[in-house]
Amino acid sequence: MKSSAVRQGLFLIGLALLPAISQAIYFRDRLSWQSPIAASEMVTVAQAQAWGDSAIWVDARPDEEFAHDHVPGAVSLNEDRWNELLPQVLPKWSPEKKVVVYCSAQSCNAAREVAKRLRDEAQLKDNEGRNCVFVLEGGWEEWLKKNR
Amino acid sequence: MVKSLVWRIVDLVAGGIFICAGALKILDPVGFANDIDNYKILPWFISVRLAFYLPWLEMFCGLALIFRFLYHGGLSILAALTSVFIVATVAAKVRGLDITCGCFGHVSKNWSFPQHLALDLAILGALVALSFRVAAGNRPRNAI
Repeated sequence: MKSSAVRQGLFLIGLALLPAISQAIYFRDRLSWQSPIAASEMVTVAQAQAWGDSAIWVDARPDEEFAHDHVPGAVSLNEDRWNELLPQVLPKWSPEKKVVVYCSAQSCNAAREVAKRLRDEAQLKDNEGRNCVFVLEGGWEEWLKKNR
Repeated sequence: MVKSLVWRIVDLVAGGIFICAGALKILDPVGFANDIDNYKILPWFISVRLAFYLPWLEMFCGLALIFRFLYHGGLSILAALTSVFIVATVAAKVRGLDITCGCFGHVSKNWSFPQHLALDLAILGALVALSFRVAAGNRPRNAI
């Protein structure tokens, strides 16, 4: 029984490789294989601060964390209240502005999700059709380290 | 007769759950890669490869349970996958990570930790019961 389970298991493991590889080939250009966020979609605190007034800071953390403290001038936009908050963010944006999205730390996912939705759903792009929405490296924690 | 019908239902439900879970993740491999990455156990380049592979493995193993073809192999793999998943979920909770489990793609995004755990333990319980049944020599009829 044991050896048949191992043999069958190995067969299933091999079998699943075939569609998985095919699907990965199909998706090869649609995602970043080395980092969860493509390097071109990330920005450091120093770079983002150098953009000055042409940057809109978007806080993707939950409401209570935003209310507690946030980057000066940042607007809140989280997935929980996306439909409610998005109309407050869009009037601040214009194609020559860059959007910097952050969440709690490097390990959080919210900034990545909000940035993706701003690109895909709100269709934010600069005048030449290039990406203008960036995720802040290290998030709020990193901003705190550099500024306080 | 009634007993074997009950076991057959357990097979179908467990297999169906994994087929469903696998299919949802196959439709959104990038989302699933993000879900794996959120556990902060594996580097991204492994998470993203697993995101393409694991859903298909789940699906084939679920089919193995339903069609009773490669039954023992499918059962063993699913039990192992579920155990690893439970350990990873508990470890993430202990480390204070606020994550979506990714078990049913983004459908399960808003489930709480106890909900995840309860479902996973129930599935593992069913798989272990099926394994014991096979080990005790009550091999399901027609199983290969």
